[in-house]
Amino acid sequence: MFITRYIKEVWGAVKSLTTGMKRTLYYFTHHKEIITEQYPDNRDTLVLPDRFKGEVVMPHNESNEHRCTGCTACELACPNGTIKVITRFDITPEGKKKKAIDKLVYHLELCTMCGLCIEACPSDAIKMAQTFEHSVFDRNKLTKVLNNPDSKIMEGVE
Amino acid sequence: MNGSIIIFYLLAAFTLAFGIYSVLCRQIFRSAIYLLFTLVGIAGIYFWLDYEFIAAVQIVVYVGGIVVLIIFSVFLTHQAGEKLPKQLLSRKLFGALAAFCGFALVLLQVFQHEFAVVNKDVPSPTVRDIGSKMLGTDHGGYALPFEVISILLLAAMVGCIVIAMRSRKEVN
Amino acid sequence: MWSFSYIANEIHEWLSKTFNPTWTLIIEMVLAGVAVIGLFAVLGLILVIMERKVSAWIQIRLGPNRVGPKGMMQSMADTVKLMVKEGLTPTGADKIMFNVAPVIAMIVAMLLLAPIAFAKNFQLWDLNIGVLYVSCVSSLMVISILMAGWSSNNKYSLLGAMRSGAQIVSYELSAGLSILTIIVFTGDLQMSKIIASQKTGWWIFKGHIPALIAFITFLIAVTAETNRAPFDLAEAESELTAGFHTEYSGMKFALFFLAEYVNVFIVCAIGATLFLGGWMPFHISTWTGFNHVMDYIPSSIWFFGKTFFLIFVIMWFRWTFPRLRIDQLLNLEWKYLLPISMINLLVATLMAMMGWHF
Repeated sequence: MFITRYIKEVWGAVKSLTTGMKRTLYYFTHHKEIITEQYPDNRDTLVLPDRFKGEVVMPHNESNEHRCTGCTACELACPNGTIKVITRFDITPEGKKKKAIDKLVYHLELCTMCGLCIEACPSDAIKMAQTFEHSVFDRNKLTKVLNNPDSKIMEGVE
Repeated sequence: MNGSIIIFYLLAAFTLAFGIYSVLCRQIFRSAIYLLFTLVGIAGIYFWLDYEFIAAVQIVVYVGGIVVLIIFSVFLTHQAGEKLPKQLLSRKLFGALAAFCGFALVLLQVFQHEFAVVNKDVPSPTVRDIGSKMLGTDHGGYALPFEVISILLLAAMVGCIVIAMRSRKEVN
Repeated sequence: MWSFSYIANEIHEWLSKTFNPTWTLIIEMVLAGVAVIGLFAVLGLILVIMERKVSAWIQIRLGPNRVGPKGMMQSMADTVKLMVKEGLTPTGADKIMFNVAPVIAMIVAMLLLAPIAFAKNFQLWDLNIGVLYVSCVSSLMVISILMAGWSSNNKYSLLGAMRSGAQIVSYELSAGLSILTIIVFTGDLQMSKIIASQKTGWWIFKGHIPALIAFITFLIAVTAETNRAPFDLAEAESELTAGFHTEYSGMKFALFFLAEYVNVFIVCAIGATLFLGGWMPFHISTWTGFNHVMDYIPSSIWFFGKTFFLIFVIMWFRWTFPRLRIDQLLNLEWKYLLPISMINLLVATLMAMMGWHF
C-alpha cells in the first residue's frame, strides 16, 4: 500500500538520522579520546602508525652489510623514476664475476611514497622509514644514496 | 515639513529613480534588480502608511516570487555582461507615448477623485480581522474573489503539472 | 533591576528630558543601529568560534587552540585577516551588482532583527504582523545570492546561485507552513502576543504532536533556507569551489560569511520565540515554587539560552549528515516535508478549533 510505504520510509529516515545524531552527540559529550596530534609540541612522544610511509631506506646490520643484490627490480617497479641502481661487478674468491651494487640512488624529491619498490624487492633489502621531516634548504640534499659507503652484501642473500 | 513627509519623499524618489533605471538599463539582469528595488520602495510606502500586512504581502508576492522568477528566466537565457541591442527610434517613441498616456490617465483619476479625510482613529487590523474579512460573506467580505482566485491558482497548478509530467510512453 | 528594558527606559527618559521629540527619535534610531551592528560583530565572533569548537568536538578533534586561551581568540584573528585583505573585483564581473550583493545580504539580516524580542519588554519594533514580516523579509535573502552568483560571471557562482534559488524558494513553503501551525494555535502574528500566549507552557509542549512535527519541519526547512550543510549545495566546496561567493574576497566575503551566521541566529531566535516561548521562563502549571525559582533567571538569559541551544542543534546537523544531492533535496521538500506539514497544519487547525491544546 502506498501510504504504509510512505510512513515506513519517513519513519526509517527519522530513525537512521537519530542514530547518526546519537553517535555524534556521544562524541561531543565524551571529549576524552582526541585524534588531533599537536605536532611540533609532541615531537618526542609522537607515535606514527605502522603503515606510515615516510621515505625509502636500506637497513644495514652491525658489520655494514645490506641485503641488496642489485637486481634493479625496484628501479623497474618505480612509476616515476625515483630509484636508480648503479651496479658493478665484483670478483668472487672463486674467480667468478658477481653483480653487486655500487650505489642505489634515491630521489626523495620525486618519490610519491607508493611503496611499489618495497613490494617488488625479492630480497627485502629496502623498507619504508617513518621519518617525515624532510625539508632542507638545498634541493640536492634530497638525492640520497641508500647504501652506506664500503657496505657489502650480506652473506647468503642471492 | 516634518520627518514623515521627508521620509515619504525619500521613498518616492527611491521608487521612481529605480523605476526609470529599470526601464532605461540595457543589461537585463540589472533592470530586473532595479525593478526589485522599485517594488521594495512601494512596500516601503505601504509600511510608511502603516499598512504592514499589504507591505508584507507586496514583498512576499512580488519580490520573493515574481522577481525571483524573472531573474531565473534571465539566468537561463542570457549571458552575464551581455547588453541588449539598441531599440529603434519609433519603438522608443511609441513606448514613451504609451507610458505618458498611462501616466495621464492615473493623474486624471487622482485629480478627479475627492479624498475623504477620516478623522476617527482607525484600529490597526489584527490577523483575526483580516482573516474573517477575507472569508466573510457579508458586506465587504472577500469570500467570492478569494475562492475564484483559489480556483484560478489550482487550474494553473494542474496545468503546470500536466506540462511538466512525462508520459510513460516516452520513457519507454 | 538591571534588565534590558530598564536600561532602555532610562536612556529614553534621559533623552526625552534633554532633547525635543524629533531629536530623541533620531538619536534612539542611531543608538539602535549601533547596537544592532555591535550585536552582529559579537555574534559573528561567537558563532564562528562556536561552530569550529562544536565541529571539532563532534569529530573528536581539538579545534583551534593556538590563538588566546584554548583558541578562543581565533575568530578575532580571522576578522583582522579578512579586514586587511584586498577585496578583488574580477574584470568580467558586473561591478555595481558585484559590490552591492554583500551589502544587501547584510541589510536583509539587519531588517530581520527588528521584530525579535531579546528580553522582557525589549524589542526594536513590535509590529502587528511580526512573524509574517520575518518570513517576507527572509525571502529577500535569495536576492543577494542570485545577484552575487550572476554578477561574478563565473560558472560555479551561477550554478551555486541557481541551486540556492531553487532551494530557498521551495523550502520557504514548509518553513511558512510550520510557522502557520503555531499561528493557528495563538491566533496572532505579533511577537509579543505569541510570547505572552506561552506563559503557561511552551507551544512545543502545549501543542502535542502537531507542534512537535512542526518544530522538526521548521528546523529542517530553516537549515535549508540558511544554506547550511546538509543543504549547502549553493556553496558545495567539492563541486563548486565555493558556489556563489567563489569570486569574493576580503571584507565582501566577510559580509557574506557574517550574514550567514546572523541568519542562523535569527532563524533560531524565531524558532525559540515560536516554539520554545522566547524569553518566557520554563513553567509547570501547578508547581508554584518551581515557577518562582524559574522566574528569578533573567529573561534575556532564557532567550539567548534557547536560541543558542537551537544554534547548537543546527550545527549538530551540519557536522553529522552528509550533503544531499540536488534531486534528493527537492524530493525531500516536495514529496515529504510539504505534504507532511500540510496535513500537520490541518490537524493543528482541528485541534485549535476544538480547543484540544492546553
